[in-house]
Amino acid sequence: MAVKKDYKDQNLAEKLRDRKYYAPDSNPEFLKEVENIGQTAAHMCYQCGTCTGSCPSAPRSSYRIRLFMRKAVLGLEEECLTDPDLWLCTTCYSCTDRCPRDLAPTDAIMAMRNLAFKRDIVPRNFLQTVQLIYKSGHGVPNNDANRAARKKLGLEEEPETTHKYPEYLPGIRKILDHYRLKENADRILAEGE
Amino acid sequence: MSGNNHQYAFFLGCIAPNRYPGIEAAAIRTSKNVGIDLLPLKGASCCPAPGAFGSIDLNVWYAMAARNVVLAEQMGMDIALVCNGCYKSIWEVNHKLKHNDELRDGVNEVLKEIDMEFKGTVDVWHLAELYYDPEIVGVKKIADSITRPLTGAKIAVHYGCHLMKPGKERHFGDTENPMWIEELVAALGAEPVQYRNKMQCCGAGGGVRGYDLAHALDITNEKMINMQDVGVDAVTEVCPFCQLQFDRGQIEIKEKFGAEYGIPVLHYNELLGLAQGMSPDELALDLHAIDVEPFLKKIL
Repeated sequence: MAVKKDYKDQNLAEKLRDRKYYAPDSNPEFLKEVENIGQTAAHMCYQCGTCTGSCPSAPRSSYRIRLFMRKAVLGLEEECLTDPDLWLCTTCYSCTDRCPRDLAPTDAIMAMRNLAFKRDIVPRNFLQTVQLIYKSGHGVPNNDANRAARKKLGLEEEPETTHKYPEYLPGIRKILDHYRLKENADRILAEGE
Repeated sequence: MSGNNHQYAFFLGCIAPNRYPGIEAAAIRTSKNVGIDLLPLKGASCCPAPGAFGSIDLNVWYAMAARNVVLAEQMGMDIALVCNGCYKSIWEVNHKLKHNDELRDGVNEVLKEIDMEFKGTVDVWHLAELYYDPEIVGVKKIADSITRPLTGAKIAVHYGCHLMKPGKERHFGDTENPMWIEELVAALGAEPVQYRNKMQCCGAGGGVRGYDLAHALDITNEKMINMQDVGVDAVTEVCPFCQLQFDRGQIEIKEKFGAEYGIPVLHYNELLGLAQGMSPDELALDLHAIDVEPFLKKIL
């Protein structure tokens, strides 16, 4: 699927042929999707490395945001989406703040995570949060110890959220069901067991 | 008494009401003392968690956050909140939907199924920025509300990420070395102290705390070292998720890495509560994993 970058002068083309970069598994559509979902012009990246240099995850792992940016530009979909490092971005946006090309590498990562999820590639904790919100409306729900503490504070045991007003839960579930999120989360979690 | 107060729909989020309810209690009381009424936003849900939901499917994140905004639209009130993560979801989605017709139409198509419509009629604020804003509260009014100055307490400020960054989409100015929360801390009579790499992330965001706890804690550990180096009595933040990461994180760091810091972690509203004379019991400080007692001894 890689697009051939050709030179009009056939002699030159022949001469430079083996200098061209052909990645057999390159998918140019991948870059378009990353740019579209992440709303950032990733192809403008000139690989200065300010992003990796600003990244709190980089010094303690093999996660390199600059590498992901390059791979996105090269259409290396498979490499990006199957790399466990994809999930080490804390989304702190330091790279985005400092990018001299005014790009948002953080949002490119978020886009790649969205694309990975479409292929069922997603860490379990993300899916468990979906299940919790489907059930209670909260990613971090109330518990008995906390209810007792709230009472002592003079607060109601249940906060003024879906906890106190569970009649709002069907609406939330409808939104999640619209995107089949709970169904997919349940399925992926079950398959992983 | 509160006839002239500014009124906001109080978006609670998850961790404040369900893990550190003292933040919720403090936010309501301390805000009232400086002229802000926080009214219940009935039926709100998780913001939803920008790291977890945004990573899976941004469209769901937009729709779920929009639902929370619409609840405030129905009250005819701006939203105030106390968590950077919630700010990312609620402020950013509100902002995006207001400025992107295509996105708003897509979200409204889904909201229609539950008889809701995003109209774009309210704004979203972090309480800390309302405290700093002289047209709403201002540092002077905060200082005037103090009955028990936190004299002698050296406090590190952790800004967190999602309130101010990405800077180009926000309105807070400099994100490399901001000082406005230090001003709010100084208004309490405490001494805000600078430390290395102040703007570094707590390590918890983006789903990393759940995905790779040791990795998240290693980032936290670096921050704890930098704070310990300058000898702080406590660290303050404006994000319950950062609070959880620093507070419970210090216990987890001790278990995993053997390092011990014992630095109390207090949300700015808890600090403000103490400075306005609230007792540790009224703030449920006993729920904190790291003992707050050494800090209290210093100030009480």
